[in-house]
Amino acid sequence: MISVENLSASIGDKQILNNISFTVEPGECLLITGPNGSGKSTLLHTIMGRPDITASGSIKIRSGELIDLPCHERSQAGVFMAHQSPPAIDGINTMTLFKEIQKVQNVAGSTSELIKLTKSLFTWIGLPEGWEKRPFNNGASGGERKKNELTQAVYLQNKTQVLLLDEPDSGLEQSSRQKIIDLIQETKNRNGCVLLVTHDKELQELYSANKLDLGNA
Amino acid sequence: MRKVYLDAESLDLVLVPTRPEYEFVFIQTEGKCTAQINLKPFSDAKFKIRIYIYAEGSSEVDCVCTLNVPKDVSGVETDIQIRSWPFDKSKIKARPEMFIANSDIIATHGNALGTLKPEDKYYLDSRGITDYKELVKQSLLNA
Repeated sequence: MISVENLSASIGDKQILNNISFTVEPGECLLITGPNGSGKSTLLHTIMGRPDITASGSIKIRSGELIDLPCHERSQAGVFMAHQSPPAIDGINTMTLFKEIQKVQNVAGSTSELIKLTKSLFTWIGLPEGWEKRPFNNGASGGERKKNELTQAVYLQNKTQVLLLDEPDSGLEQSSRQKIIDLIQETKNRNGCVLLVTHDKELQELYSANKLDLGNA
Repeated sequence: MRKVYLDAESLDLVLVPTRPEYEFVFIQTEGKCTAQINLKPFSDAKFKIRIYIYAEGSSEVDCVCTLNVPKDVSGVETDIQIRSWPFDKSKIKARPEMFIANSDIIATHGNALGTLKPEDKYYLDSRGITDYKELVKQSLLNA
């Protein structure tokens, strides 16, 4: 469950969100729509706790109020964001990042199990062999970066209460869309909730039953 | 070939490159390391040198990588890249040097600071990670 009440957000002196309220029940997916610049991505970043966004109001999930928590504590509380434009991070090795995620998120399993699992996830999602040895997203295409995001989302799905998907489909081939749908379904099955921003018409139709239009909010 | 130097004090190395790539990793958590890597290739040697330097606390690393190509050595192709990550109050001085006396040589070099941008830190935060230093250190150790 996520309950957002009177959420306002600004970046510098520019107000992006003004008094947004909604609730997403466990096992539900909320489609967030609106024209460019209406604040769809900003809403997800505000929930995630991006440090340059000043927010007021309330964001509650099952484990409690998030609004005053720093970003990393929101993550550890069960909020996962698949970023629209994940960065390439200089000096960070992909497998080392997964090991650190395992540690800070308290995911069970030995190092050898983690290596085996991540390798199989990279193969499943269609990332090239040896991906785990590469610097994080170094030289990766937009589609490969999105696949990397989905891999992490799947890896952490048992811990995730709130899944934030910011245009997860952009740059991905058609065949990967089903993996996004499966991830959303799996999160719903585990009583998590999903906030989805997408311009993909088919995904929009699929999740149109529960919609927040920021153009009219 | 990859060599990792952990809290080394000094290194004075003369290398005659026979392999295509060499990686030197310096992890300095205390004290000062002075490193001099002297490259003395034979004719037609083709090789890359990668030097990664991590320093934390008040440690210091002073690293010079020198390429020496005398007149009678030709056909050498090389690229020397140094990347440094200084954290806390540490200091890293690193530079490639090239002394080339033959025009039949292709030699490039680079020297860059590895930094985590605010968007990188936000991304890591969003995965629950705040110990960026440790992540860089472990990445260099385990690459």
